[in-house]
Amino acid sequence: MSHLANLQAEFQAYLMDDVKGAGFIKSVIDDKKVGAKKRLGIYFDAYRLRIIEALATAYPQLKALLGDVLFNKVAREYIDAYPSTYLNLRWYGSQMRGHLQETLAQHPIAAEMANFEWTLSLAFDAEDVPELSLQDLATIPPESWVDLSFEFQPAIKIIQTSWNTIAVWQALEAEETPPKPKQESIYQSWLIWRKNFNSQFRLITEMEVTALNMAVMGATFGEICASLEVEMDEEQAMVTAAQYLASWLENGLVCKVSLIKFAS
Amino acid sequence: MPMLILTTYQTFTPLFEIYMRNNLPSLGFGLGLRTEHYNTILETKPKVDWFEALSENYMVPGGLPLNFLDRIRADYPVVMHGVSLSIGSTEPFDQAYLKDLKKLADRIQPAWISDHLCWTGVHGQNIHDLLPLPYTEETAKHIAERVNTVQDYLGRQILLENVSSYASYVDSTMTEWEFISLICEQTDCLLLLDVNNIYVSSYNHNFDAKDFIDGVPQHRVQQIHLAGHQNNGDYIIDTHDAPVIDPVWDLYSYAISKLGEVSTMIERDDNMPELDVLVQELQIARHLSANVLKEAA
Repeated sequence: MSHLANLQAEFQAYLMDDVKGAGFIKSVIDDKKVGAKKRLGIYFDAYRLRIIEALATAYPQLKALLGDVLFNKVAREYIDAYPSTYLNLRWYGSQMRGHLQETLAQHPIAAEMANFEWTLSLAFDAEDVPELSLQDLATIPPESWVDLSFEFQPAIKIIQTSWNTIAVWQALEAEETPPKPKQESIYQSWLIWRKNFNSQFRLITEMEVTALNMAVMGATFGEICASLEVEMDEEQAMVTAAQYLASWLENGLVCKVSLIKFAS
Repeated sequence: MPMLILTTYQTFTPLFEIYMRNNLPSLGFGLGLRTEHYNTILETKPKVDWFEALSENYMVPGGLPLNFLDRIRADYPVVMHGVSLSIGSTEPFDQAYLKDLKKLADRIQPAWISDHLCWTGVHGQNIHDLLPLPYTEETAKHIAERVNTVQDYLGRQILLENVSSYASYVDSTMTEWEFISLICEQTDCLLLLDVNNIYVSSYNHNFDAKDFIDGVPQHRVQQIHLAGHQNNGDYIIDTHDAPVIDPVWDLYSYAISKLGEVSTMIERDDNMPELDVLVQELQIARHLSANVLKEAA
């Protein structure tokens, strides 16, 4: 290992653990004005403070939920558990949900809140794609709709909550007193996407989740209707699928449609 | 001294006179582009000559920040300034990072691209800090090879910025400005001279800040940074959360007296004021630079 590589390895080890890495202090000039340990301490503290600030930016309502003291404790444990491998600080924090499931298992709402905020942030700077409207489909004759297949904006994600996480998040976001954390009788699914450059979310039924997942995987409108017929009659399935499609277009989820023709 | 020449740099305006330096346009007086000011910039078109965008903030797939940058770029020259190149690291470059950097440059068409003369981590890890380097021939040679690699990949000269430092190494065998000069000689790279960082490091390491300015290859300085800091008595932290202090303005005047006209900007990252406060602060730089250049003429 070159001299420079050795110095960098030792410096980094000191920043991770200033007790185990204390041998590095001798590599730094110690003068009367500021001692070597104090000089390295500036870097040791800055490393943690900068990342805690980045995590607070990524998880603003998680921080509000936990309070400053607990959030700082969680963030410091996170830094120790997940040394950053990202060149862009923007992506650091992606493991927070799993970290909270382990370290704050007694408060499951914390992990759900982290998952929600991280997913919102992923939608915020996901890839830009064109947005189709209902009018764009007007030129396609109704009899061809069964063969329509769709492509969706990369920002869309579906997450599940078992607690009243979103209600708590909304109250905290509005700087209002949040409701008491409460486990729901059944889990809820939330659709997250981006519209007009802002992250959006709404409740989504399990039936629509199934339809949307099929559509994302490339199923045609006709195949989506057929899958709904398990739950309802043919006409009702067609109406329901059309309503779903209308809402996906209204939400700006669809970026492309294609007519899929199969050889008979 | 820079040459006065005619150029067609701004395609849609008639030919007009601008200074060139190192075959690059001298942009005048700019500000760091910050989220808090996006809307004000687009709505009021402030009297700022150019903006410096933090590269990593826009190295994302899409969304609002990139959209703002595109729209602001339509009205102003922009330069790209990164924090994660880690030019001094002993780790191989992250190829995905270089690719994304080039992709952003292709999109934004910046006047130039800069990053810091430092290292940010090894063993696949990132400290997200601008860590100091030992000033040795071995380090300079290592960095020169990496600068050449980056310049070849990007197809342009890059600017390296001197960082504020709080620690120096017993192994260093030369001054920081000798170290910088050595790298410049081997790479033909340009410099982003952070005058505040010179002041901070001179305070923290007991050297004369003017020696730094006198010691770097002055013709290679393409851009100047100014910023505020936090004085803790026995040391200074480079916080970018306050106005530029008078001794740094004095040092800026000294730099301009030695360098001639150089694109200058103020960096503010915390305790963010309204945009017009920074535009006013930038006026100080305009006046000081104009006065120094007038006296020299």
